[in-house]
Amino acid sequence: MNTASRKWVPYAFLSPYVLFYLAFGLFPIVFSFYVSLTSWDGIGGKTFVGLSNYKYLFDPDSHFFQSVGNTLLFVAVTLPVQMALGLIIATLLYSRWVQWKGFFQLINFLPYIVTPVAVGLMFNLLFDWQAGFVNKVLVELGLVDEGIYWLGEPLTARIVIVLMLIWKGFGYTMVFYLAGLANVPKDLHEAAQVDGASALRVFWSITLPLLKPVTAFIVITGIIGGFQLLEEPMLLLTGAGMGSSVAVIGGPDRCCLTTVWNMYDTAFGSTTRYGVGAAIAYGLCVIIAVFSFVGARIYKGDSE
Amino acid sequence: MSGAVRKTAATFGIAVLSLFSLIPFYIMVIMGTYRNEDLFTRIVLVPGTYLLENLKTVAASRFDLLYLNSLIVSLASTALSVFVSACAGFAFAKHEFKYKNRIFAFVLLTMMIPGQLGIVAYVIEMRQLELTGTLLPLILPWVANAFGVYWMTQYIRSAVPTEVLESARIDGCSEAGLFFRMVFPFIYPAVTTLSLLVFLWSWNNYLLPLIIVNKPELYTIPLGITSLGNAYRTDLAAQVLGLTLGTLPVLILFAVGSKSFIRGLTAGSVKG
Repeated sequence: MNTASRKWVPYAFLSPYVLFYLAFGLFPIVFSFYVSLTSWDGIGGKTFVGLSNYKYLFDPDSHFFQSVGNTLLFVAVTLPVQMALGLIIATLLYSRWVQWKGFFQLINFLPYIVTPVAVGLMFNLLFDWQAGFVNKVLVELGLVDEGIYWLGEPLTARIVIVLMLIWKGFGYTMVFYLAGLANVPKDLHEAAQVDGASALRVFWSITLPLLKPVTAFIVITGIIGGFQLLEEPMLLLTGAGMGSSVAVIGGPDRCCLTTVWNMYDTAFGSTTRYGVGAAIAYGLCVIIAVFSFVGARIYKGDSE
Repeated sequence: MSGAVRKTAATFGIAVLSLFSLIPFYIMVIMGTYRNEDLFTRIVLVPGTYLLENLKTVAASRFDLLYLNSLIVSLASTALSVFVSACAGFAFAKHEFKYKNRIFAFVLLTMMIPGQLGIVAYVIEMRQLELTGTLLPLILPWVANAFGVYWMTQYIRSAVPTEVLESARIDGCSEAGLFFRMVFPFIYPAVTTLSLLVFLWSWNNYLLPLIIVNKPELYTIPLGITSLGNAYRTDLAAQVLGLTLGTLPVLILFAVGSKSFIRGLTAGSVKG
């Protein structure tokens, strides 16, 4: 009797998770796939259209691959810089040379905690054409005659986004490298130093290889997270007037349209094409899966 | 001698990089203390005197309501998520059942799925259930949290001694009693960490409220600060102050709990 009744115990403890996951996690995912096979604006009836929404993703009008390219560009440019900066700071903080470690760690981690929406708005203010701090300083120093229209030109808008993402993200890589450094055995370093290896050499030949698992983790999560980029560019380029003013979707020439932004705009913004929106979400998921898989493979092949 | 030089140089280098992190915050705070006209005409570097006037402008909008909504959403998400995760973690860590490892592997797999995958259908689901006039749609997705289950399972496995559970069972303690009286006291650190993470994730969430919330009474902080431009169309100083008020308090809260927070964030990365 006792053991028979006990058999139900783990299932009882598991059930809240399972129920909530099925209802609000798995069901929307499965149902989204069905929606992606239909043409539906949410009000009228659904029409089954097969794979034509997915075909439409290859049409330049859908901006799908353009948005994937933009997002990929941002990840490819910012992630290496974030990692280099994070590693340098983590190494300095971990060395015995720096005072007030906790304080500096905290300060450099703060940008990561800020609400992403606020990050976009802050940089919108900093790089504003008229009232922006950056333009004022540049003019004051005599570097330019009049303010640069940062957010109005594709190239400069992208530069601002890259700067913003680096600013937000290097503290994140820093804490991961700090955690990794704490796991590197200290006696290895000491042995190498006794053998006369320079600090730089120790770092290059011992520390860096031992940090490989952390690096792999950062690259993979960085790609997954990077592909979900939305709020920062959106608020940077549309500002605090969201909703009422005629917002430019994706910035000048859609140069900064990210994939999730594209999905939002297609399904819930300029148009309400739920089917195409769901297809974009699935397309994004496939691309993320491919990149994670390739990343994991490269990492695995490298370590063998 | 060279040690002292190194120390100074390293600390100085870090300090310079830290300035890069801090300057945007500083400018944001400073801008909120000036008259709107001043922001357009000169560089502001030290605090101005117009803070109280700007505060009055901001207070005239319903900023308190934004905070209340965000607090409701984040506290409810956190409490539910932590409780449900701890329950599942207890099952995975301290019980045996059929297909346990497969189910656990599946939970880990769902961690890799981007949150936007089901969002289109989730919105439709919420509309069908007629929940869009409430804050519930912003809470429900956090309840079943794969990371939370992973985190709790790992922690309960290592922190809760099985012998204690066994002897309590022999003494006739019910499984629910075990969970609340024997497991919870051991896992406070894990609860703190997970709470901080879920709180911040739900607090920062923007896409879901943007799509689902359709009336200003239900706006959360991220939605609120993006509509500041509508509230004070011509008053940039008030907008900036609103942004500061919407950002800084939570930032300070998290600065206090950052150690525990970082521990959760970096969990699992070291072992690879």
